[in-house]
Amino acid sequence: MSAATERPGQDVADPWGAIEACYAHGWTDGLPVVPPTETLVDAMLAAGPWAADHVLLYEPVRDRAVTAEKAAINAVMAGCRPEYFPVVGAALQAIGDPAFMLHGPATSTGGSALMVIVNGPVASRLGLNARANLFGPGARANATIGRVLRLVLLNCLECRPGVLDKSTQGWPGKYSLCFAEDEAASPWEPLHVSRGLPPGSSAVTVYAAESGHNVLSHGTSDPERLLTCFADALSSLSSLSPGRSVIVFAPEHAAHLARAGWSRPRTAAWLYDHAWRSLADLKRGGKVEPAFYENPTLAEWLYRNRPGGAPDPLPAPSEAERVEPEDEAVRVRRGFGPDDILIAVGGGEAGGHSAFFPSWSRGRSVPFVTKEVPA
Amino acid sequence: MIRILDPTLGTAPTPAALPLAPRPARLSGVTLGLLANRKSNGMALLDRIAAHLRERHGVAEIVRVAKTNASAPVSE
Repeated sequence: MSAATERPGQDVADPWGAIEACYAHGWTDGLPVVPPTETLVDAMLAAGPWAADHVLLYEPVRDRAVTAEKAAINAVMAGCRPEYFPVVGAALQAIGDPAFMLHGPATSTGGSALMVIVNGPVASRLGLNARANLFGPGARANATIGRVLRLVLLNCLECRPGVLDKSTQGWPGKYSLCFAEDEAASPWEPLHVSRGLPPGSSAVTVYAAESGHNVLSHGTSDPERLLTCFADALSSLSSLSPGRSVIVFAPEHAAHLARAGWSRPRTAAWLYDHAWRSLADLKRGGKVEPAFYENPTLAEWLYRNRPGGAPDPLPAPSEAERVEPEDEAVRVRRGFGPDDILIAVGGGEAGGHSAFFPSWSRGRSVPFVTKEVPA
Repeated sequence: MIRILDPTLGTAPTPAALPLAPRPARLSGVTLGLLANRKSNGMALLDRIAAHLRERHGVAEIVRVAKTNASAPVSE
């Protein structure tokens, strides 16, 4: 008996039976999968630089190790072509970075999607869409690379909806949320280069995202008026938190900023400075919980922009909701600084529609992680 | 006939790898370890449980440990 036939699996009569067997085992996200035959899985594995038993993703809270072979099986099922596998592997390594703390976004009620932003020459080589409808349907690489992450969470990390995945609602991005940055339309250096990787390299940047908020602005080309619209979205009470933000500027909006000479860091700094609500607003909206005053991170967030810093002593937790006169002047900003706002460019050439993706938690959530895609 | 491969990790690690400590017959005088997972109000809940076990069952010492973050593993 060859080693290949010892791999766990099931014999089925035909491809249609295989698709149904995958459903019967609970191995899908609800959509049909490509049956992971040994031939297809071996071709997938051969397209990456990793040995079959190489661990691409280790999740320490529940002690689960996802090997390249298991990743390849799920990549076949997701519909990937073999040449996508280096990007898939890099994305799995990125969400497995200890700093990303995958257990949270994989299981929390927040119901986040795993966003993958692809940069560098690999994006056009694989046909990843960075332009019209980049978050929507139509491009195989976008749809299937993002889908692998969800299938790995379902099949290898056992993040079954309602069991370990306790998303209160979830959102459709949880099926797949992968796109390329439109580097040609961007007035700035590619996202991965701004994050320290060399020009000419290819990379993935991952993020745990709540559903996107369309930032519609057709009426101005003035940077501050335009960004006022974004700051309003970032400071909505519904998602206001000390967490991170992803902004994907439509090319039209990016061009307005570029014509006025606005850099990416200046844009992020302006947004951080203007995306705030008063502490009084937060209290009136029920966004200040008693437990915040017992959590150093959240207490710091509430008062980090207050002249003189946090009151000493802090208010008692039982006083959390009482609006004090001085709370009207205390500005509570989204995140802890401009570095918490990640800016990319993508979308169709026409239209003033950009996107803001909030992070998934009422806390700091998890950082952005960028990993190079192996050549 | 075609063969499809199992995309899961198979059987999850069994508890046998980390056997339970012997169960004490009574809680009186024992040292109790409590691990807080850092979810909101979790510490407050464990405080109440600890007080209850002290008063009603005579638990002696209580060792409190908290994760750094609900999403992180327990640090060594």
